[in-house]
Amino acid sequence: MKLKRTVNQVFAIAKTDFLGIARNKTAIFFTLLFPLFFIIIIGFTFGTVGTGETNRIQVGAVNLDGTTIYVNGTVSHNSSIGDAFVQALKDVNFTVHEYAKYGDRDNNGTAAYDISRGQIKVAVVIPVNFTEALSYQYVDSLGVPIPTKAHLDLYTDPSDPTGSMIAQQSILGFISGFIEYYQESMISQIPESFQSYAKVLADPITVSTGEADIAGHPLRNIDFMVPSTLGLVLLWGGLNHASVSIATERTKGTFQRMIIAPVSPATVLVGKFISSLAIVYLSGAVMLISGVLLFQVNLYWNIPAIVLSVFLGALSAIGLGLIISSLAKNEEAANAITILISVPLQFFIGAFFPLSMMPEPAQIFGNVLPFTKLVTAMQSIMTKNLPFEAVMPEIIYMTISGLILFALGVIAYRLSLKRL
Amino acid sequence: MERDTEPMNLNDIEVDSVTKRFEDTVAVDNISMNVARGELFGLLGPNGAGKSTLTKMLCGMINPTSGIIKVGGYSIHKNPMKVKESLGVVPQDIVLYDYLNARENLAFFGRLYGLPGGKLKSRIEELLKFTQLDEKVAKRHISTYSGGMKRRVNIAAALLHEPQVILLDEPTAGLDPKNKLALWEIIRTLHKEGKTIMLTTHMMDEAEELCNQVAIMDKGKVIALGSPHQLIKKVKMENTITLVPDKITSKLIEAVKKISGVKRSYRAYNESEKIETLKIITKRAEDILPDIVSTILSVGTKILSVELSRVTLEDVFILLTGRSLREEEEQL
Repeated sequence: MKLKRTVNQVFAIAKTDFLGIARNKTAIFFTLLFPLFFIIIIGFTFGTVGTGETNRIQVGAVNLDGTTIYVNGTVSHNSSIGDAFVQALKDVNFTVHEYAKYGDRDNNGTAAYDISRGQIKVAVVIPVNFTEALSYQYVDSLGVPIPTKAHLDLYTDPSDPTGSMIAQQSILGFISGFIEYYQESMISQIPESFQSYAKVLADPITVSTGEADIAGHPLRNIDFMVPSTLGLVLLWGGLNHASVSIATERTKGTFQRMIIAPVSPATVLVGKFISSLAIVYLSGAVMLISGVLLFQVNLYWNIPAIVLSVFLGALSAIGLGLIISSLAKNEEAANAITILISVPLQFFIGAFFPLSMMPEPAQIFGNVLPFTKLVTAMQSIMTKNLPFEAVMPEIIYMTISGLILFALGVIAYRLSLKRL
Repeated sequence: MERDTEPMNLNDIEVDSVTKRFEDTVAVDNISMNVARGELFGLLGPNGAGKSTLTKMLCGMINPTSGIIKVGGYSIHKNPMKVKESLGVVPQDIVLYDYLNARENLAFFGRLYGLPGGKLKSRIEELLKFTQLDEKVAKRHISTYSGGMKRRVNIAAALLHEPQVILLDEPTAGLDPKNKLALWEIIRTLHKEGKTIMLTTHMMDEAEELCNQVAIMDKGKVIALGSPHQLIKKVKMENTITLVPDKITSKLIEAVKKISGVKRSYRAYNESEKIETLKIITKRAEDILPDIVSTILSVGTKILSVELSRVTLEDVFILLTGRSLREEEEQL
């Protein structure tokens, strides 16, 4: 009888709390529509990264090769190899902007100007003697060619290190291919018996690269990012809702009215936990389903493992939310503290950027967070299709941290009851 | 579960030597009082007198530093859940979920009190009828209600579990006269049904109109306890002249105080008419009235009305504390 009454109380609290979200347009936006917008944004931003597409990369080609120079005392303005280089850039599908000079950031119409305004990510400067150097036009007094290297300059946009790095690596890869093509055409002009030696001398090491098959299909960035968003859902939905819910009710007085009823503190907490958990699952489902429907993300659906992992992660998020809610004087304070905590945290859980790209202290900090463990576990289960046993370390970590944070949340909540 | 007090001797509220300290502040200072079953008891006093602290202790939100409190025969220490089941608390503010309608709000609070489905449904219907909220209104979100309608649902939410003891904290604060009278009628009906009601208010006219027992609190202590009639009898020998001047200044009050035969002169506030009045307590009202009128006119103040008033609980409070409730509120 008592158990039935407690269960009824728990569900009444959870339902009322949930309706507070469902009937509030702003709350609905942040709980359901914001995740949807977020997925759309990251899908369009990162959706094609990892597929080898180059047309997104904006390259500036400053081809000075046709400029008149003196070679061996005679005028030269040969630009055939420089032009071929630019054409090859276009042929491999880079988006190429052509310039007459590199210039400076204040000089409209030059490559530096467009880098400073984000129009191009990388500028390749082809020198005036590009063709002359590569076609052995520099000779000594006896007419013997003087070995002369052609030199390319690459300039990248320092305001966007990630985008610039991707663009620079792509261009370096292209140049490497261009050099190989050039070597082969030069070697083909020497006697055939020497050609194989010359090829080894010119290019003694060959490298082939390829992605390991860890998922059974080719992977894109978004295939990792969509399951990672479950970590963000914990921060946006679980932490945010748990921290603001009790504080809001305390400000409005409904919390006081609830606790003067014959309801135990544990009943109130379980009711609040269930509604926060429902919001996390709902918001997570929106993220995952929209990722699949809009961007054809390939995920593996080990539902029990996903549900359990999110539950354990939610223990930490909601526990932390309870601590904030209990410490905060009112709704505004709870909101401010939550934003102060959740906004920086979301950059350290590996959902936006891989932790490996961060400085060591940031990596250590990120690895301590239970939300990072959820991101890792979700990527392993949903993207890589690893078995549940493979994420046991993350599961154990989330269980322990969840229990600790939730217990601290309960203690803070009980202490806050004395302040009413 | 057995009661901590035998039903034969049952006082529905027993407060015995209760003190509540908040660090260095004594909010409630060693007070004792009993409220018998079926009584409509008024707890009076200005803001900061300790009424809210006492109310919070009665409903188990905070514990007393010392002393014993029993509600419905149950000790708040030994049987807090039983105390909560015996009590219906109507907070001063509207404490409802504004995104739920009246029916949903009542259902929520009913479930907290463990009412089973069928019983809950019938209680909601009874209370909607009792608080005169029709079906159409009951389906609208609380946020669309008028102040009076919200107050009625606020009260209904405390009555779902049919508590024997009802705590009403400033139930008519901020209401217009029409809604105030409607709420008084609800309170009277509950009293007729045999409920024990503790009404916390700083409106002396409300307590005088409704309560059969009152306790006046000031600075954490109970300074008077009895029926309004008994308390008023304490100042029966005095007469009160109530004047409505066009302005009340300290200079005017001091000038009146100097008139021979004036025992006390103070500024008061008529809650129902929302005007400031000058009250003068004297044993010889008719003799000194001409002197009072000429003194007031001599300081350049016009007199809008004069009447010989009956003694009120407000006068009792002034006599006991030397201050008016209005002065107390202005100081806060």
